[in-house]
Amino acid sequence: MTALVSTSALTKRYPGVTALDDLSVDIEPGIVGLVGSNGAGKSTLIKILLGLVDLTSGSARVLDLDVGVEGPRIRQYVGYMPEHDALPPDQTATDLVNHLARMSGLPATAARERTAEVLRHVGLYEERYRAIGGYSTGMKQRVKLAQALVHDPRLLLLDEPTNGLDPGGRDEMLGLIERTGTEFGIAIIVASHLLGEIERVCDFLVAIEGGRLLQAAPLGTLTGRTGMVAVEVEDGEAALASELAGRGLPVTRDGRALLVEIDAERGYDEVRDAVADLGLALVRLEPRRRSLEDLFRDDAPSAPAVPSATTSGRVS
Amino acid sequence: MTADLPAATVDPTAGDPTMGSGIQPSAGSIYDLGYRHYDGPRLGRRHVLTALLIYTLRTTYGIGRGGRAKIIPFGLAAMGVVPAVIALAILVLARQAGEAGELLEEASPLRYDSLYGAIAQLVFLFCAAQAPELLGKDQRFHVLSLYFSRALARSDYVIARVGGFAIAVLLLVLTPQAIVFFGRVLSAPDVVAELGDNLPVLPAIIGQGLLTAGLLGAIAVTVSAFTPRRAYATAAIIAVIVVPPIIAQLADEITRPELARWAVLASAQDVLSATNAWLFDVQPDSDAVISAALSPEIYLATAVGAILVLGAILVRRYQRISA
Repeated sequence: MTALVSTSALTKRYPGVTALDDLSVDIEPGIVGLVGSNGAGKSTLIKILLGLVDLTSGSARVLDLDVGVEGPRIRQYVGYMPEHDALPPDQTATDLVNHLARMSGLPATAARERTAEVLRHVGLYEERYRAIGGYSTGMKQRVKLAQALVHDPRLLLLDEPTNGLDPGGRDEMLGLIERTGTEFGIAIIVASHLLGEIERVCDFLVAIEGGRLLQAAPLGTLTGRTGMVAVEVEDGEAALASELAGRGLPVTRDGRALLVEIDAERGYDEVRDAVADLGLALVRLEPRRRSLEDLFRDDAPSAPAVPSATTSGRVS
Repeated sequence: MTADLPAATVDPTAGDPTMGSGIQPSAGSIYDLGYRHYDGPRLGRRHVLTALLIYTLRTTYGIGRGGRAKIIPFGLAAMGVVPAVIALAILVLARQAGEAGELLEEASPLRYDSLYGAIAQLVFLFCAAQAPELLGKDQRFHVLSLYFSRALARSDYVIARVGGFAIAVLLLVLTPQAIVFFGRVLSAPDVVAELGDNLPVLPAIIGQGLLTAGLLGAIAVTVSAFTPRRAYATAAIIAVIVVPPIIAQLADEITRPELARWAVLASAQDVLSATNAWLFDVQPDSDAVISAALSPEIYLATAVGAILVLGAILVRRYQRISA
């Protein structure tokens, strides 16, 4: 099976700055998180995949089409939600999305039907007949998602879709993204600088930093199986710490909680038993996932080799 | 080629009788129809270009926008019709006056050949007001990235925008001529004979209309493409159209005639005045054109050349603009 997106030694230099450096990665269909701090090269990568920005060297293929040669054809099957504001304030959502559907080559009738459908999907109802200028940030983000979906793309490229949203709005946007990916069967690449957010909806993660590939692996191998649990008890942390150490589990203190490294065989049960044996009151027992910052640390343990991900980019 | 693309892996309507086309209507339930994939046609370049051109034409007149967006274009268009209506009124009165009326008709200042000059200022204003609205907005609100992330080629965007705007200007300048033309023909006692008398002037009307719309439209759109700020664009368009005739006039009066002869070509107004005089076979209404005494072909070549050069500048601008 051919990869959804595949780049090989992809490099993009702007005068004075290298945005992408020797990036090689294969991405399979699914919901893929593209994480990196601001300026890591996420937006540049997305724009190169769209053919909006020329690459300096290397190559990139989207839907098995070369971005340099078949940009227009790729763009016919790709939907793009830009990071920044991109909506004219004096148009209604219906008007704009309908027009952009026509610009994607849909005939007039189909454009109207699809517009009504996607606006309903993103949760815009009566307000779609009002000028966009009066919309809230959350509504604007929905319109941006709707215009990316209106021509029924095979691949959605979402650049910071939760930008500027309040926590409730973020949840709704992430829910929409998850639904679009799983129920609609559209492959999604979603760029974000917030791992905590992105890991809720993604099943594959590509981490870049300074234009270089850090990690490309299924989400679980990066953040799930860290084998770290946080335990919080009422009084007696010291006793628990020594008890756990006695059972051969490495323990570190993190404020009121104890961080315990566990492995597959001796998991939560071991910790529970330790707490029970001491007769302590257990307040909290939760998995502690590796944070985005850990991914970027030099000593981050490298992910197990994954057949679908080639990580030729050096870890910086 | 579609077969090469990864097919949608999930069909949301599959296996669910309440979804998709197999809905069983039942009382009081709200159905989530689920997501339906679009498998209809995706039309090609020509279709998209035409759609954007028509959309541009509508937007230029504020159609599909709020009421306020229509005030300026329709107001200017209405004002442009006034001279034509006056011309027609004079004509009808003259015809009623019989023999004596022919003198009156001869003396009327508003004829096919003078109509373009009479509404020239309105056309400048229309260009200066509407072109920045059209192009500046796409840049100011970053709408370009929504266009350029679609199948639309950047050069097609330029062609459709310029074409749509030029057609909008063409409508503005041709409507008064059409009113005079049909007014003359239909108000005549012998319609067929009058039509025969008026038909020979049609090529001049259309030719001058195309030159006016093409040149002023290209100038306005090109200037607008270089700034997202509407006020700057409007000021710059007015400067580019209004200042050169003044310079040409000054050059004509205070410098050696040799320089003035060529300075006149920098003035779109004077170039159009010259082509108008040539096409309608009358005396130019611009002193600078008269004293320059260049051959008419030079003006025609200047107008056509300027349209092409401006088009090339625009395409280049949009190839480089970041979206």
